[in-house]
Amino acid sequence: MHSHIHWNLKRAAAVALAAVLLWSCFYVVTEGEAAIVTLFGRPVRTVKDDAGLHFKWPIEGLLRFERRVMVYSPRPSEFLTRDKKNLVLDSDVLWRIDTPDLFLKTVGDVVTAEMRLHDIVWAALAAEIGKVELSDLVSDKAEPVKTPRVMEQVTGAACAVATRQFGIELVDVQLKRLTFPEQNKKSVFARMRAERERIAKQYRAQGEEAAMKIRAEADKQREVLLAGAYREAEEIKGKGDAESTRIYGEAYSRDPQFYKLVRTLDSYRKILDDKTSIILSSDSELLKLLTQGRGKGGAQ
Amino acid sequence: MEHSNHSHPHPEPHAHSHSHVHSHAHPHAQGGRLHELRHRLHHLRKQTSMGRVALVALILYLLSGVYFVSADQQAVVLVLGRVRESRVLPGMRWTLPFPFSRVEKLKVLETKRLTVGIEAPDQVLGRGAGEVKAQFLTGDQNIINIRLAVQYLVEDPVLYLFSARDVTSVIARTVETILSSVVVRRPVDDLLTRDKIAVQNEVQTGAQELLHRFGVSISSISIESIAPPDEVLEAFRDVASAREDRERIVREAESYSNDVVPRARGEAERLRQEASSYCERKVNEALGDAARFASLATEYKKAQDVTSARLFLETMEEVLPRMKKIVVESGPGGIDLDLIQRKQ
Repeated sequence: MHSHIHWNLKRAAAVALAAVLLWSCFYVVTEGEAAIVTLFGRPVRTVKDDAGLHFKWPIEGLLRFERRVMVYSPRPSEFLTRDKKNLVLDSDVLWRIDTPDLFLKTVGDVVTAEMRLHDIVWAALAAEIGKVELSDLVSDKAEPVKTPRVMEQVTGAACAVATRQFGIELVDVQLKRLTFPEQNKKSVFARMRAERERIAKQYRAQGEEAAMKIRAEADKQREVLLAGAYREAEEIKGKGDAESTRIYGEAYSRDPQFYKLVRTLDSYRKILDDKTSIILSSDSELLKLLTQGRGKGGAQ
Repeated sequence: MEHSNHSHPHPEPHAHSHSHVHSHAHPHAQGGRLHELRHRLHHLRKQTSMGRVALVALILYLLSGVYFVSADQQAVVLVLGRVRESRVLPGMRWTLPFPFSRVEKLKVLETKRLTVGIEAPDQVLGRGAGEVKAQFLTGDQNIINIRLAVQYLVEDPVLYLFSARDVTSVIARTVETILSSVVVRRPVDDLLTRDKIAVQNEVQTGAQELLHRFGVSISSISIESIAPPDEVLEAFRDVASAREDRERIVREAESYSNDVVPRARGEAERLRQEASSYCERKVNEALGDAARFASLATEYKKAQDVTSARLFLETMEEVLPRMKKIVVESGPGGIDLDLIQRKQ
């Protein structure tokens, strides 16, 4: 009985040992992951783009690496364009480990990788930005800005270096933000304000211009209307005057003498008022009778 | 724990019946042999019971591979680290249990949302801690603050899980990059007024192109706020009010015009009416006068002397009473008329 239990224990131990050995013989590489098998710290084999179950000797060690894309955002820094304009570029680097063994040998971890990437990307950006002018990057003109091409160049140049030296693949270097340095912003804002003032003035002046046009047009229209009406009115009045003259003439010419008489008498009525003094000669037609007596005058 | 709890009660009765059968089969066996037999039987029985325990344990173990994908989810199944099924639809499913499989469930129908254009103050070089608005450079070298809301869906679960470590961050950066490149091509006035929709569309198209490879589908991009920085806000507002002023001034002029022109039209009409009434009056007066003259003349002709004398005298009667009258003798004894003239 004793030996039996002993035997059982031995067997269990053997099974457990075998399990442990078996367990340490296999490892799983997950999707989006790479692994390096090491022997006493020295890389032996690399598993890349091959997720699944893999074999290694139990004495071999294992290092796992992220193969998915990671984002690194360097601090925004200042660059000089060809036309000596300062620009602050805020970029993002999308990167991933391309060659795990080279990465392990030269970089080792993500923090160090980001330091290396900072230098590489900075150098590439400085070189490319120095080749273009501000107006190539910032422009509302019809021809497209050169930014995409510049960033392509930067990505290409930086990627070549990073891949060769550190086993890092740069998926994309993106230009997230493009601004002026803080010390330049004051003058930019001043310029913006001046521009706004100009536009505001222009709007108001345009308003005045249009308003003046409209008012002048209205005044002109009024003048035209009134002048036209005056002309018409005078024409009508003239016709009336002419007609009445014709009527008078026609009527009076039938007996001019009588007309003269009547008209003269009418004129007397109008001309002679209470301020008029008249000196009448006693032999005037009116007073003849008064001075000469009825006898003489009555004969007439 | 579950395995052991369930497996104990079952093997007991079986083990009992086994021993029964055996003892009946060999009741007459010798002592030593019997002992050996018994030992072997015991062993066999133990083995059988262990086998059953193992079987039940195996079944339960396999059952632990059952998983549920709820209606708004899809799942990715990895077996030994490798993608076995890239899109498992909702329902009850089975896969190899731990440690062979891993099931990643994703809410593919859920629209996820993130905001672009707010920056963490510590990230920014030389800016105040309170500053959280993202500033972009426009095509005419103005500075503008923009905040975008991005809504996105998981388009491809496998790519979403395994192409980037932090997809949200990739989306935010990519959208911001595209936004920056779209804004840098446009003048600030267009951005603030008529180009908002175009910007949204362009950002969506541009970002979508880059985000396909991360299994992300952008369902909408909307500008949450777009405004000039505080430093120049007042000037921009003044432009807006200037634009309104322009409208107002023009409207005022139009109302002036609307007042003046009809008035003038009325005035013109009045002039015309007056003229024609004048004309009418003149003609009628003339006709009246002519008629009166004609009838007078007719009568005059009949008795010229009398009528002329009468008319003359009548006039004198009317005129003379209101005048000062001085009557002088005619002939050489007359007075000097100059005297009167001087007196006046």
